[in-house]
Amino acid sequence: MPNETNQDKGSKTESEKSRIYERLRSAVGSDNVSIKDVDRVAYSRDYWPITFRWLLEGKIDTKPDFVCWPASTKEVSEIVKIACEEKVPITPYGEGSGVLGAAIPINGGIIVDLKRMNKISEINEQNLTVTAQAGINLTNLETELNRKQYTMGHFPQSFYCSSLGGNLSTRAAGELSTKYGKIDDMVVSLEAVLPQGEIIKSKTVPKSSTGPAVERLLIGGEGTLGIITEATLKIWPTPEKTVLATYCFDSVQDGLSVIQNIMRKEVFPAVIRLYDHLETERQYNQFPKSKGKCILILLMQGSEELVAAEQKVTEKLCIEHAVDCGEEPARHWLEIRFNVKEAADFAPKDVILDTIEVSITWDKSMELYNAVISAMKKVNGVFYASAHASHFYPQGVCFYFTFGGVPVKTTPEDFYRKVWDAAMTATLEVGGSISHHHGIGIMREKWLGAELGTRLEMLKKIKQALDPEDIMNTGKMGL
Amino acid sequence: MEQIKKNRWLIKLIAKANFSTKSQLLRNFLFSENKYLPKTKLEANAKSVLKCALCPNMCRFDCPVLKAEKSEALSPSGKTRVAHLLETDKLNYERETTSIFYNDADCDACKQWCPFGFSVGELSIGIKSDIANRGLAPKGLLAVKEKILERHTLYPENVTSMEINPKKKAEILYFAGCTTLNRRKETAVATTKILESAGVDFTVLQEEWCCGYPLHALGFRKEFEAFSEHNIKSFKETGCKTIVCSCPSCAYMFKKIYPAGKYNVQHTSQFFWELMKNNRLNLKDVEREVVFHDPCSLARKLNVYEEPRLILKSIPKINLKEAYSNKKNTQCCGRGGALGIANPALSLQLAKNRVAQLKETSASVVTACPSCELALKEADETIEVLDLSEIILAALNQ
Repeated sequence: MPNETNQDKGSKTESEKSRIYERLRSAVGSDNVSIKDVDRVAYSRDYWPITFRWLLEGKIDTKPDFVCWPASTKEVSEIVKIACEEKVPITPYGEGSGVLGAAIPINGGIIVDLKRMNKISEINEQNLTVTAQAGINLTNLETELNRKQYTMGHFPQSFYCSSLGGNLSTRAAGELSTKYGKIDDMVVSLEAVLPQGEIIKSKTVPKSSTGPAVERLLIGGEGTLGIITEATLKIWPTPEKTVLATYCFDSVQDGLSVIQNIMRKEVFPAVIRLYDHLETERQYNQFPKSKGKCILILLMQGSEELVAAEQKVTEKLCIEHAVDCGEEPARHWLEIRFNVKEAADFAPKDVILDTIEVSITWDKSMELYNAVISAMKKVNGVFYASAHASHFYPQGVCFYFTFGGVPVKTTPEDFYRKVWDAAMTATLEVGGSISHHHGIGIMREKWLGAELGTRLEMLKKIKQALDPEDIMNTGKMGL
Repeated sequence: MEQIKKNRWLIKLIAKANFSTKSQLLRNFLFSENKYLPKTKLEANAKSVLKCALCPNMCRFDCPVLKAEKSEALSPSGKTRVAHLLETDKLNYERETTSIFYNDADCDACKQWCPFGFSVGELSIGIKSDIANRGLAPKGLLAVKEKILERHTLYPENVTSMEINPKKKAEILYFAGCTTLNRRKETAVATTKILESAGVDFTVLQEEWCCGYPLHALGFRKEFEAFSEHNIKSFKETGCKTIVCSCPSCAYMFKKIYPAGKYNVQHTSQFFWELMKNNRLNLKDVEREVVFHDPCSLARKLNVYEEPRLILKSIPKINLKEAYSNKKNTQCCGRGGALGIANPALSLQLAKNRVAQLKETSASVVTACPSCELALKEADETIEVLDLSEIILAALNQ
């Protein structure tokens, strides 16, 4: 997997490694650099499902040479400068929950773990902003906001186990995104270290017209263009009221049509989740009214007046085409939404499961849904293919597909890649985007050219200009 | 039946799958998992370890060790990933590697968030037993083990008895615990006075041995069993039916880890609340503001967090305030899992982190565990730390 050039870059003689080690120790302190095998093993993976296979099969082929824990932007800059001079690859690391391999040090080198950079420097109640270092855990950030009666409204399924920096680097989306936006919508300003060690910091202003917002190249850059070290984000007062509702539709199409109309009324419930028949049966079969239906979960929150208006509009639009199922299924979703146990249950049984999120405009939404489900089912061994739609826009929707299957006369990895290929190819053929919010990492590199077209060349030129030594998260995103 | 009903969708799907998929699925369900599990029998629960290792670390945000440390190797799933690789001989058992398992507070914070109900602390105990069985337990801890075996307590002072009511038989046995007897004698004295004041007919052991928690937590399984056998024998000699413990770790061990016995094991907070409910304690005003720190072993392992609050609220004029992290959502003081012995510096950092949280509410702390009391006080001498029994005694003495 590692390409030759970068692998060479990762290969250093023992005396070179000793020199780099000493330089890193003087940059961040001797306690904050490790070459211990146990640390190198711990950072050899993230949560890409291929790494489940590595764990099961005992493969540890992607160990970094050094793990560094800087405490400040300045220290990150020092590490990057050393890496640049020594031509050593760098892999930024948050909490390792990415599902596409972006945080795996495939060429060895230096892991820059931002975990010590977990401070909140300001909660500004006047400007409705929070400024925090990129290594902070999302739950711990939200808890501190809640203590002051604020929320960021960002609750991805990795809420418990991901860092702010990781979310920014992948343009992540939370479950309440239809109201609060995705992480990229929440960023007001950021500070980052570029691949030659330069520090950039954008202004905390609500909007400016001062040329392209170049710092935003790092949002979604997956660490290939630099390391985000701090960000200022939008916050909101804790909602006065939260209301839950559930409706059951005959078909995905019926549900989507109603949601489209909700959007057209400029009503944005925090949570809108529409499950197809199979996912409804899998996750909500304890609710009899959902039998043979597609369930819609709504969560509306905000001021009393706003919630009352949202409730009135959604109820009116839904009830004409659906069965009202009350609050209980929505409450059930709230209770189980952070239960992630499928990999633990099924990976040891060589049952391959994964999720694939893509986006599409309304006019092609059903076409995309049908095409991806059908393409995944055609792969020999797939016995499960389903989807829910969970992030909505006036212009379109994000589908979140799930597949499950067993490798028949092939390896688990080959089977996994075949299903992905089927889903990605179908998405591209219909005209959807290959990723809504998980990013590219290693897994999606193959289809990034088809997705971006000539923009990939543009991205490569930017990468070359910013990172002439090609050290920043090498071998990711097709760069 | 319920499972079949719940998974009907899956059964239908599999029925619809083609023959090759069906047969592959059957083979995988029957045989695959064993390929990935250790080939030899181990003390660790290898299946649970692997499940934990395959989780994205969903409990990491609440892990007190990870709040004080920085390496992924010390994260909950980081530990079990390394454990799986060790157990399946993909990594060598070397001291530098196995040392991660001794950085554990056994506080069960993780258990609250785990869909499987795993406690990484509990999983680590099996792993530490395997390490000990290979003769690779840290040398310092082997020395501690020898001292415990020799003295029957953790402490050089070696106080093993309250020296009251020798050889008396009674239905109630008060078991102070070796940490209380050696380092928080005030608690034992207050407790016996409270019991006497309420007219409780109780006895104490002539010689208390450690409950064995440190040996258990550090993976010295066989040695722990000797302590458990001795203590059970001592309990029998008193003719007791109820054992009341000052230390929640002792109560946890007697209740959940010792072989199931006929004893009703209670923590003092539970026993005192029963006395108060039955108007057997005449409490007067104690005019002060306090914050209650929930010991993990009491709130999480024994599910006891209301009784201490009911007691404090029943003492006239006490202003009980709540820390932001309270009840089952408490944060460890750093002494759980014998961490104070295994890694004193990390243990102290955990205590400092907890003190900082408590001080946001009040610098006058009441708790109900001798280890928590020692840890919090060591972390910050300026705070006041009292055991629940001391506050009750103060209310009795007014």
